[in-house]
Amino acid sequence: MGDAPQLPGLRGHAYAARSSFRQPARLITREGGEGLWVDIQNDERAVLGSAHLSELRIDPPLGSAPRKVTFPDGAVFETNDHSAIEALTGRTRGSVLHHYEGFKPRLFGVVAVCLAAAWVLWRYGLDIMASIAIVFTPPAVIEQIDAGSMQTIDFTMAAPSQLSDAQKADVEKVYRRLVRSLPQDVQNKHSFDLLFRDVPGMGPNAFALPGGTMVMTDAFVKEFPEPDVMAGVLGHEIGHVVEEHGLKRLYRSLSTYILIAFLAGDVGPILEDIVLEGNVLLSLSFSRAQESAADEYGLALSNEAGFDPAGLKVFFEKLSEKYGDQQPAQWTSTHPSSAERVKAIDAFIDGL
Amino acid sequence: MRASLPTGAKPFDFTGTAKEWFGIWIVNLLLSIVTLGIYSAWAKVRSKKYFYNHTYVEGRNFDYHATGKQILIGRLIVIAAVIVFNVITAALPILGLLLLLGLLFIFPWLIVRSMIFNARMSSFSNVRFGFVGTVGQAFLTFIAYPILTALTLYTTFPILDRAIKRFSIDNHKLGQARFNMEVGLGPFYKAFFVAIAWVLVVGVIGAVVTGFNFAEFADAMDNADRAPAQAMKVMSLFYLLFFVAFLPAVFIYQALIRNAVYNNTTLEGGHRFASNVTAPKLLWLAVSNTVVVVFTLLLMLPWAQVRMARYLAAHTGFIPGGSMDDFVTQQQEAGGAFGDAYTDLEGIDIGLPI
Repeated sequence: MGDAPQLPGLRGHAYAARSSFRQPARLITREGGEGLWVDIQNDERAVLGSAHLSELRIDPPLGSAPRKVTFPDGAVFETNDHSAIEALTGRTRGSVLHHYEGFKPRLFGVVAVCLAAAWVLWRYGLDIMASIAIVFTPPAVIEQIDAGSMQTIDFTMAAPSQLSDAQKADVEKVYRRLVRSLPQDVQNKHSFDLLFRDVPGMGPNAFALPGGTMVMTDAFVKEFPEPDVMAGVLGHEIGHVVEEHGLKRLYRSLSTYILIAFLAGDVGPILEDIVLEGNVLLSLSFSRAQESAADEYGLALSNEAGFDPAGLKVFFEKLSEKYGDQQPAQWTSTHPSSAERVKAIDAFIDGL
Repeated sequence: MRASLPTGAKPFDFTGTAKEWFGIWIVNLLLSIVTLGIYSAWAKVRSKKYFYNHTYVEGRNFDYHATGKQILIGRLIVIAAVIVFNVITAALPILGLLLLLGLLFIFPWLIVRSMIFNARMSSFSNVRFGFVGTVGQAFLTFIAYPILTALTLYTTFPILDRAIKRFSIDNHKLGQARFNMEVGLGPFYKAFFVAIAWVLVVGVIGAVVTGFNFAEFADAMDNADRAPAQAMKVMSLFYLLFFVAFLPAVFIYQALIRNAVYNNTTLEGGHRFASNVTAPKLLWLAVSNTVVVVFTLLLMLPWAQVRMARYLAAHTGFIPGGSMDDFVTQQQEAGGAFGDAYTDLEGIDIGLPI
């Protein structure tokens, strides 16, 4: 350290420890003991603070903000002479960061990498994080989620099923045939219970809970008693369970929410709402992708179990008939449009 | 509205530049993304420090002293709590409901912890801020009063708003010097009524000019499945009216209240504050910032933030009543950063309105 520059006095201001008393001062260095001593001296040449260079706490550089040096006793020296303080301290903590933050053409590179990284994070990173979280979720909790959700559904919207035992047995037969076509390890992993409920608000529908509990509405069994149609829809729901769509969606929405809150920080009025709305629209496209994936899985499964994969098509065609072209625009919906899905089913059947 | 700050007022000065802040912001963002959000704790410190360091009054600036590690620990605790809470709500709805009720009581405590932490980690002219609000006060301000306000159909909103401002300002200290806000209900109700008058007048004129009516709106909403085009048309008209009537009203209210609050706030030692922001200018800044930021895919956000900070600083004044050399830091424990992490997550911001 012997050849550290002998500064004729680095001008700035000094504060006494824990006080707002501010006075013009200089930072003066001198050889002493094992290294370089640094003194703060005011204009009357009184020494306000003194310490070894190594004992000083030097705040990392940040934009053009004044550099701050804190002495062990709490005295603070502040200066706008950036080059002089760098000459004194050499590279400090944060120098590299400060270097890359400079407004130079290479920032374009940073912007490009940033956009790419954001895309990769959204497209793959969140899924990987969700998958890791799923691995760490105890199976007991997942089963309990199903039980809890059923409690809520029974309490708020569902009534006991009005179907006859024979009707239930017919559905059960189709369902078991599908489940038996699954690989053995997948069969063991989920519960695959089938429940029947009368849910007036839902129309002909079936849905799956994350742990594998399957719920079918009475309206569905009454309107679509054909085994092929049933197999198509149940296969689709089994696809959701096997590919763990429910849990993925839960963890994904949770992590995007947390990431946006912590990454975006304070974006200011109006914009905040736009960011959140944008996130909702993006997550809808994710949900549509899940539906398409479940369609594909269900088609393959019902084909494997010996059903006619065109059964699912019948379901969508009948839905389209009922609701006509009045479906909302694709980008505002959680599901792809029926026409889109029928097209995909035709493509699948052609490929058989 | 006064065009200039009162004589003797020294305006705040924000010296940050869009270029400089852009570099810091984009590097923050990149590191935060590639570390899956972990770096965001350090990014927060760096952002906050940048804005504090570049805000001056009379040649003295602010500083922010929290470390990334403190923020990260706080965030990890809060994230763990959020995950546990979400899993419980999904798995055991009844227990989840009870927890939600419990949160009602933890919430004020978290807010106070957050405000203590933020105050203690902020300094002006080498002297730390402090916060002395109690959990009881916070419970009244953020739980009890809002419920009462809802019961009066929000006609008492100005009273609630004043209570929140009072809670924040009167409990803050710079060193040992207390802040004190003396504003009657008059200015709060005046701002409230001016904002409502705007909504009514513009809303009625807008409805007459465009032929919008609520019966048609409700009808279109009910039949959105069968006639989406019609619903879309009525919806867009509704949003247009909403923007023209409500958005300016919000800024009218905020500008009037900000001025009233600053102009009647003192700091022990005879110091006073002043503010002369105007609603049209605030509205213009917010709307134009939003448009620019959206069309540049968020890349101009740093520019927008600097622009807003500059305007607010230039229209905020400090009227010294004596020497600014006499503040002394009081030793206080800052506690953990989990309160701060919680308010970050929920987007709650009730710190010192600098």
